[in-house]
Amino acid sequence: MATLNVAAPMPVTPRQHRIRWLFGSPIATAGIAVVVTLFAAGLLAPQLAPFPPNGQTNAALQGASTTHLLGTDEFGRDVLSRILYGIRQDAIVAVVSVPAGALLGVSLGLLTGLAGWLDTILQRIFDVMLAFTALIAGVTVASIVGPGLPAVLVTVAVVNVPLFGRITRTSVLTLRNRDYVVAARVVGVRPIRLLVRHVLPNGVDPLIVQLALSLSLAVFIEGAMSFISLGVLLPQPSLGNMLQKSINYLDRNPWYAIGPMVVVTLLVVGFQLIADGLTHRLLRR
Amino acid sequence: MIRYAIRRIPSALLVLFLASIAVFALIHLAKGDPAALAAGPDASPAEIAAKRHQLGLDDSLASQYLNWLRGELTGDLGNAYISGGSIGELVRNGLGNTVELTSGAVVLALALGGAAGMGMGVSRRRPVNAVLNALTTLAFAVPTYVSGVLLVLVLAVIFPILPAGGHESLLRDPTIGVQYLIMPALCLSLPAAATIARFLATSMRQVLDEDFLATGVAKGLKTRRLLFRHALPNALPPVLTIVGIQIGQMLGGAIVVEAIFAWPGVGQLLRDSVLDHEYLIVQDLLLFAVAVFIVLQMITDLVHAYIDPRIRTEH
Repeated sequence: MATLNVAAPMPVTPRQHRIRWLFGSPIATAGIAVVVTLFAAGLLAPQLAPFPPNGQTNAALQGASTTHLLGTDEFGRDVLSRILYGIRQDAIVAVVSVPAGALLGVSLGLLTGLAGWLDTILQRIFDVMLAFTALIAGVTVASIVGPGLPAVLVTVAVVNVPLFGRITRTSVLTLRNRDYVVAARVVGVRPIRLLVRHVLPNGVDPLIVQLALSLSLAVFIEGAMSFISLGVLLPQPSLGNMLQKSINYLDRNPWYAIGPMVVVTLLVVGFQLIADGLTHRLLRR
Repeated sequence: MIRYAIRRIPSALLVLFLASIAVFALIHLAKGDPAALAAGPDASPAEIAAKRHQLGLDDSLASQYLNWLRGELTGDLGNAYISGGSIGELVRNGLGNTVELTSGAVVLALALGGAAGMGMGVSRRRPVNAVLNALTTLAFAVPTYVSGVLLVLVLAVIFPILPAGGHESLLRDPTIGVQYLIMPALCLSLPAAATIARFLATSMRQVLDEDFLATGVAKGLKTRRLLFRHALPNALPPVLTIVGIQIGQMLGGAIVVEAIFAWPGVGQLLRDSVLDHEYLIVQDLLLFAVAVFIVLQMITDLVHAYIDPRIRTEH
């Protein structure tokens, strides 16, 4: 009877550990479910959308019905179909710009650890970049490259650089005097390798939290820039430019506004929930 | 304190100076030739060259930059490239309205954020905390262009009690002006209110655990006096920092809010100037927005250091 031996627990790799932390948090799981569902719907827009996103008809500004679940817009286009295609713009920004900005920010943040003068210069550069708040940065970029999706892509990347740069710099500062880093330096590990292979992996947790926050910010910026005609240009649908137009027709078809409002909110809040869950689990706050 | 100010102010000025170069350089990267745009579609190359000379665009970049900076500092903003209108006048007209909007938003943010933050920080009852927590999470995350359209839908279309957009000067007609102001100011204030509430709640909870409050309870102070005279002042410094940053960000937020509510402020002017390729106006307003942010941040740091002497001795 005494042989009822419980199998030794499988050793958990750091990555498995992290994935468990992620799904161990109910709010993070809820956030992931929401965001993945919406992005999947956007990705499958050609299959899911009942109508082509730019198919104009005479049935303008109809209310919700069984053919048009969220009614039609001022050109008789199906609102639901346009929302599904609109989600794609956010998906592009999330997949392209956020990683690009994060990568650049982390690289610059690591560089601060190489030399004191480099740290001073990069700190001032981050200060200047942070003085351009998200939308002011968006206006600046739009006036340089012109309104459109490219302006949104550049803005989101640029805005993220100092955010990731600062966090990485803090990690470098706190970790570089740890015994294991000092030991590695003593045995002759070169500075860049030291930063990338020894410091960075141990400072990755706050960066993951920031990644979730940045995805939320990316959806916000796309919507805001498109809302003020500096982002995704009509007739290409985006959640922001649909909301901008819908405000003139709130009395005729309120679903034209409510649809994009719900989707934007779910995306932004969804990424926030992921960030909150990760903060609890990874940073133990 | 003065020593701290002497250390802090130059670095803010340096960042401001670097930001002015960035704005100038970036706008000069913009595609499109302002002189050609200003001269009109049918202008001959000679006319464009004359226009370029007239606008001072054939000077060296350094002297263009210095001229621009001198104009900014002396308040002479010059004339718009294409429309030819006085930029100073355009900015003054819009700025008053934007200040009105942001002032309203700051008052609302402090009132709503303060009340919610005190509630969350002090209340030990779970339902109260859960509701306030959910509300602040939503108010923080929901973008202004969603909350704004929702406000219009509910308060102007479904229950038509407030105008959907537009503006009336508070000074000229306060009762009508306030009706136009409520929705835009509320919309702009929500994210700031939520942030203030969260910081205040965290800060209050920390202060309430301090020994001196137990002493206050022991010697029989009234709860109200304990909270507002003893706990709150000690909880405020970190909140103050975040208030400064929130106000600094409102100018960016105003661009969207003004677009929702057709509010004739500098946010609208900036957006329209980008669309119309009025680069000089864009350049001026961007520098203004960045300067407001940097100066507010600096003031916040100084006030923070004044209230909390520990800050001064750091570094």
